Amino acid sequence: MTRIALQALRKEYAGQVAILDLTLEIADGEFFTLLGPSGCGKTTLLRMIAGFNSIEAGTISFDGTVINDRPASERNIGMVFQNYALFPQMTAAKNVGFGLQTRKIARAEAERRVAEALESVRMGHLKDRLPGQMSGGQQQRVALARALVIQPALLLMDEPLSNLDAKLRVEMRDTIRQAQRDAGITTVYVTHDQEEAMAVSDRIAVMNLGVVQQVGTPAEIYRRPANRFVAEFIGKTNLLERDLVRQDGRALIDLGNGQIIDVTDMINPSASGRVQVSVRPEAVKAASTGLAAEVVDETFLGSHSQVRAQLVSGDIVEFLEFSQRSVLWQRGEKVFLHVDTNLLTFFDAASGMSIMAGAAV
Amino acid sequence: MPRLNFWTVVMILTWLMLFVLLFIPVGSVLTASFYDQQGNVTIANYLKFLSEPRFHQAFFNTLVVGFGGLFGALLLGSIMAFCVSRFVIRGGKFVSLLAILALVSPPFIGAYSWIVLFGAGGVVRGFLRDMGINMPPIYGVGGILIVFSLKFYPYVYLMVSGALSNVNRSLEEAAEGLGLTPWQRTMKISFPMVFPALTAGGLLALIQAIADFGTPRLLGRGYNVLATEAFTLYSAEVGSNMSMATTISVVLILVSMVFVMLQRYVSRRNVYHGNMINKPIRIQLKGWRNVLAHFAVYFIGLCGALPVIISVIYSFRKTSGPVFQDGFALQSYERILFGLGDVVRNSLTFSMAAVALIVIVGTVVGVLVARRTNFNTALLDGAFMVPYVMPGIVIGIAFIAAFNTGPIVLTGTATIIILSIFIRRLPYTVRTTASSLRQISPSMEEAAISLGYSPFQAFLRITVPLIVPGIIAGGMLSFVTAINELSSSLVLYVGSTMTMPVRIYLLILDGDFGVAAALSTILLLLSGCAVYIAFRFMGRNEQALL
Repeated sequence: MTRIALQALRKEYAGQVAILDLTLEIADGEFFTLLGPSGCGKTTLLRMIAGFNSIEAGTISFDGTVINDRPASERNIGMVFQNYALFPQMTAAKNVGFGLQTRKIARAEAERRVAEALESVRMGHLKDRLPGQMSGGQQQRVALARALVIQPALLLMDEPLSNLDAKLRVEMRDTIRQAQRDAGITTVYVTHDQEEAMAVSDRIAVMNLGVVQQVGTPAEIYRRPANRFVAEFIGKTNLLERDLVRQDGRALIDLGNGQIIDVTDMINPSASGRVQVSVRPEAVKAASTGLAAEVVDETFLGSHSQVRAQLVSGDIVEFLEFSQRSVLWQRGEKVFLHVDTNLLTFFDAASGMSIMAGAAV
Repeated sequence: MPRLNFWTVVMILTWLMLFVLLFIPVGSVLTASFYDQQGNVTIANYLKFLSEPRFHQAFFNTLVVGFGGLFGALLLGSIMAFCVSRFVIRGGKFVSLLAILALVSPPFIGAYSWIVLFGAGGVVRGFLRDMGINMPPIYGVGGILIVFSLKFYPYVYLMVSGALSNVNRSLEEAAEGLGLTPWQRTMKISFPMVFPALTAGGLLALIQAIADFGTPRLLGRGYNVLATEAFTLYSAEVGSNMSMATTISVVLILVSMVFVMLQRYVSRRNVYHGNMINKPIRIQLKGWRNVLAHFAVYFIGLCGALPVIISVIYSFRKTSGPVFQDGFALQSYERILFGLGDVVRNSLTFSMAAVALIVIVGTVVGVLVARRTNFNTALLDGAFMVPYVMPGIVIGIAFIAAFNTGPIVLTGTATIIILSIFIRRLPYTVRTTASSLRQISPSMEEAAISLGYSPFQAFLRITVPLIVPGIIAGGMLSFVTAINELSSSLVLYVGSTMTMPVRIYLLILDGDFGVAAALSTILLLLSGCAVYIAFRFMGRNEQALL
C-alpha cells in the first residue's frame, strides 16, 4: 500500500541524459505502466525506483518519505525480471521462500505463505522443480510468486513477458493482473508492447528519449494522444497533412476531393496553419460516397481485413474491413472512404503537439 | 559506500601483488640483461647474443623445435579430433583418457621413456637389431620433435574436438544444398569454424615447446635451445653468467610474446559461436576406412601415453642399485618411502599452499575483473597475460634476480617456489572465475537484493554457490600444474626445498630410472586424483585441462 511520487528526477550515463527532470505520481494500489520504445529510459527509471540505479537529481518518495538514499534491500519491493532471475540452485518453493528467510518469519507461517503464493500462480504442483526443469512461463509464474510472497510495498516488473511466446503472453498478463488486483499492491510495469500495456494498466506513462510524453488511462492516451509520437506509438494511425483554414469563424480542413470537415468545436481556438490529422483505421469505412481512393492491397486476418488504399492526394490510408465479403478487394479497385470525424485527432504539423480543445499546450 | 571501498582495497592490493611478484622480477631480468658481470651498464650482452654463433644456433634451434612441435601437434591433434568427433570410434572415451594421460604426465619422463625404448641401448631398438633391422637412436632434433608432437598434441586435440562438435550441422547441410563438394565443404565451412581453436591449441603447443628445456637437454645431445642455454648459463658451477642468462630470458619472453600476438592477429576475425542444437552426427565407417580411422586414433593415443605406461611398468621392476633386473618388485617404492619422503612432502605442501593462494586470490581478483569494469580492471586483465607468456625457466631466473638481494630476500626458501607457482597459474583462475561470473546474470543478485538481502549477502548466498564447483575444479587443475611444475623450481630449489619433479630430473641424470619411474607414478596418481575430483565437480570437461 504505497503512493509513489517522482519529483524532477534526472539520470545521466557518462554525460548522456537518460532521464530528464521527470515528475510523476503513482496512486496507492495502482497498476502503472511505463511504455516506450527501447532506449526511452523506462527500464532506467524502474531501476531507479528499485534502488539499482543512482539518482543524479530530484527525489523519489514512498508515501511522502524521500527514499533516495535507502538501499535497494530496504525498500521492500518485489521485482520481476525479464529473464526471470530465478536462483538456479533452488527449487520453486525455495526460491519463493528466499525472501521470507531474511524477514525472520516462523517456519510454519513461511511454508504456508509459500504454498499460498505458488497456488495463486497455479504452480503448487511444481514446487519441488528446479528452474532448469521448468518452461519459461512456469519460471515467470514462480518469479511472480517470489515477488508477491514478501508482501512488498511496491511491485516492479521489467518486461516480464517479453521472453514468452505470444499465446503465453496473453495468458500470463491475465495472471499478473489478477494477482496484482488480489494483492492490491502498487505496481510499476515496464513494457515496449503497447497492446500489453493497454490490457493490464490502470494508467500508462508513454516515454520517449527520457521524457514522459503523456500520462493517462489506456482510453485517454489512445483517444486523445498528447502528441504525434503517442498517436503513432499507441495503436495504428494514418497521418494526413492538411491546411487548417479559418473561414467565417469556423475552422475547416479539406481532406481531399471536396470532403471538407468542420473542426471548430474540436480544436484549440488559436490553432491554424499546417496540421496533421490522425485517422485511426477504425474511423474509416468503405462507403458509397466520401474520399475517393484506389485499393493498394488487403491483408486477410480472419475476423477482419486490413485494407490499404491510396487517396487522390497520394496519402496511403489503412482501414479495417469487418464485413464478411466473399471476395477480397482487388488492387486498383475504386473505393470511397467515409471518415468518422468524432474519432479524429489533430496535431500541429511543425511541433507535433496536439491542438485538440483542452489539450495542454 | 563500504562495498566500493572494499573493492578499491582489493584493486590496490592486486596491483601491489602484481608489482612485487611480476613487474619487479621481469624488470630485474630486463635491467640485469643490461649489466655486465662487473656491474657496468652495457648492451654487450645483446651484442654478444647477436654475434656469437652459439646463440644464433640456439635461437634457430628454438624456432625449429617450436614450429616442429607445433606442426607435429597440429597434425596428430587434428587427425585425432577429426576422427573422434566425426566417426564412430569404439572406446572413444578411452582415447580421450589417453590424451589426458599424455597431458598430465610428469615432464622429462616422456623423454626418458623414449630413450629407454629407442635410445642407444633401447629395448625396442635392441629387439629390432636382433632381428637384423638397424635403426638410428632417437637422440637429436628428430627425437625432440617426436616427443614434442606426442606430448603436446592433446592441446590441439582437446581444443579442436570441442570446436568440431559445436559446428552446427545445418551449416554443412546448407553448403551441401548450395552444391559444394565434401572437400569444399570441409575447407570453406568447417575449417574456418575450427580455425580459432586450431590456432589456440597450436599456440599452447608452440609456447610449451619453446619453454620446455628438459626434453632438449635429455634427448638433444648437444642440440641447444634458448631454454637450455639460459639454464646452463645460470647454473654452471664455474663461470655462471647471470647477466647473459637474463639476456636470453628476455629473448625468450619476446619470442613467446610475438607468437601470442600473432595468434591473436590471425584469429581476430574468426570468432564463431557454437550452437548447442543440431550437433554433427558421427558417421559409422565401413571396411578399411574404419580400420584406418581406428588405427590412427589408437596409434596416436597409445604413443602419447606410452611414456606413462613405460614408467608405471618400470616402477615395479626389480632393481639392483640403479640397474634393472628381471622380474618385479616394490624396491623403487621402498626407496622412496625410506629415502625420499621429504621430497614427496615438499611437493604436496608447496602445491597445496600455492593452490590455496591461487584459489583465494584468483577468485577475489576474478570477481573484481568481472564485476568492476573500468579502465583499471581492463588493464589488470591485460597484465595477467604476462605470466601466461613467461616460460617457467624465465620466471625462475627472474625471481632469483629480484629476490636474491635487496629488500626482500627469498632465495632458498619454500616461499619463493610457492610464489613462482602461484604467479604462473593465477591468470587461469582469474580468467575462469571472471568468465563464469560473466555468465551469471546480474539480475539474479538484484532479485535477492530486492527480496531484502544486502549486496554482500546476495553475492554470498546466490552467486558464490553457483561458482564454487567451478572454483574447486579449477583449484584441482591448478594442483595438477603445480605438482608437476619443474622448470621454475629447478632454478629456485635448494637441497631442503627439492620437489618431486626436480628429484625425478636429477634421478634421470644419475641414470636411476627405477626410482624416477616410481616417483613419476606417484605424481601421476596424485594428478589423476585431482583430475577425477575436478571432473566430478564440473562434469567431464576435457577442455578445462588446457
